[in-house]
Amino acid sequence: MNALALGILAAAGDSVSVDDGGFVSRPYCFAPGFAGFDGHFPGAPILPAVVQIQTVVAMAGGHAGVPLRLSSVESAKFLSPIRPDEAILVRFRICEVGGKPMHDAILTVAGKTASSFLLHLVPEESTS
Amino acid sequence: MTADHSLPMAAERLIPHRPPMRLVERLIAFEDGAGQTEACFAENSLLADDDGALDPVALIELIAQSYATVKGYDDLVNGRPVMEGFLVGIRKLRITGKAFANERLLTTVKTVGTFEGFAVVEAIVTRGGETIAAGSMKLWITEKPAGGGSRG
Repeated sequence: MNALALGILAAAGDSVSVDDGGFVSRPYCFAPGFAGFDGHFPGAPILPAVVQIQTVVAMAGGHAGVPLRLSSVESAKFLSPIRPDEAILVRFRICEVGGKPMHDAILTVAGKTASSFLLHLVPEESTS
Repeated sequence: MTADHSLPMAAERLIPHRPPMRLVERLIAFEDGAGQTEACFAENSLLADDDGALDPVALIELIAQSYATVKGYDDLVNGRPVMEGFLVGIRKLRITGKAFANERLLTTVKTVGTFEGFAVVEAIVTRGGETIAAGSMKLWITEKPAGGGSRG
């Protein structure tokens, strides 16, 4: 596991829930000392977009009980920057798009959507 | 005295990202909104596993930083301040191969459209001639000087 992934684990809250719509939810909060803020950017840290994606990959793998890796980003929107110490709610559900299982994910801060993605994830050792 | 704009040029001159989150090392080619960058991840990179394998998300960040580097160079040679920018979207970005620490990765980006501050970019990342990631990104370039480039 790489250092950023370890930092993401440390940022995860304890409570995982599943709602009626099939969304799995978990709170996250990245402290100012999170390595992903280092150099991104000096004096104005924001959570890298790729860390937001990596968080969903890690959370989905934890929920599935199988390590997953990113195969494709079908679409992603980054609507507002996420800063240190902000309380983030990460939600995802599995849906099917074009015959492929996809992870439909939304990150919200204070009830507002900060980013949303449609990801194709595969088991760690899969080549598809 | 004329400023030296010769390539290759260190990315640090062109983007605001700094280690450990600056992944692009240098710009090696540029032509009219397109360009190619070079990167080589260290074994102790934040995005490298113990076996040296890079997290696939590293390739996405490479593309975003590569566009920032190209835009930063374009601003530099045209005497403009480098404007602050943000990654706002990704579309159909496929990860088709693996990359490892100490490998030379080349990222080629091409601006395919601009509209009211937004730029759409197509990019590929290659390793030893093999394409390992390809897709499209949308970035928003503000009118606020950044002292660097686009932010991913």
